[in-house]
Amino acid sequence: MDRRKFLGVGLAAFAAIVAPGTDLRAVDFRTTKPKAWEVEKTVDGIKALYGNAGLKTSDKLTFKAPKLAENGGSIPITIKSSLDLESIALFQDANPRCLSCVFSVPVGAIIEYDFRIKMRQTAVVTIVGKERGTGTLYTASKEIDVSIGGCGG
Amino acid sequence: MAKKKMKIKAKEKKGIVKVKAMFTSLMADREESVKKGIKPEYIKYIVATVNDAVVYEVTMSGFMSENPLVKFKFKGKKGDKIVFNTIDNNGNKATGKKKIK
Repeated sequence: MDRRKFLGVGLAAFAAIVAPGTDLRAVDFRTTKPKAWEVEKTVDGIKALYGNAGLKTSDKLTFKAPKLAENGGSIPITIKSSLDLESIALFQDANPRCLSCVFSVPVGAIIEYDFRIKMRQTAVVTIVGKERGTGTLYTASKEIDVSIGGCGG
Repeated sequence: MAKKKMKIKAKEKKGIVKVKAMFTSLMADREESVKKGIKPEYIKYIVATVNDAVVYEVTMSGFMSENPLVKFKFKGKKGDKIVFNTIDNNGNKATGKKKIK
């Protein structure tokens, strides 16, 4: 093998080794906060994810959800906020584990996330947002009535 | 594993890009998979990037709906490519690309 080729092969191999390691994620919540994904109650979940800091309610962090969800397998939720948040998490008490999802918000992003969750029974849904820099926690919660449970129930 | 499918729509209007994306996954967590007699399968991580900058990032549990559909907005421009990467609980990865219209 000539030198030129050898270098090329070496580079390719190097790239192959490095590539899986280059992780885009800012914080991997699953490895840094494994406990948060296992607990059942929202209160414990918030503690496990964000610590014991006090929660504030703010009209700048809101979410839209139907009051009565006919199908618990698909409940549309829209989170909106004009605050500069670092991450947003959604908790509910209906399922065996309370944490549904955690968003890591990139700097300067428009916070308007729309997605669907599953809930097996009527319960309170809580969202918690952590402000960038100050670390202040903001929260909003709502009770959603579920007539037919999701999760195959 | 079934074929991975990802539907992505991205449209720009006045400097703001609206994105809709749908991912194919059963989103079956432990309890549900036992009931249905299948293996747990859910997407646990989705990230979207434009020009190597992260615009959307979410870590999920199996309590999102089947075939998760997400919508979001960000500041961007036409012609850029949005790239989605997902990882499920079994470590399977999927990638999808779309040009912003």
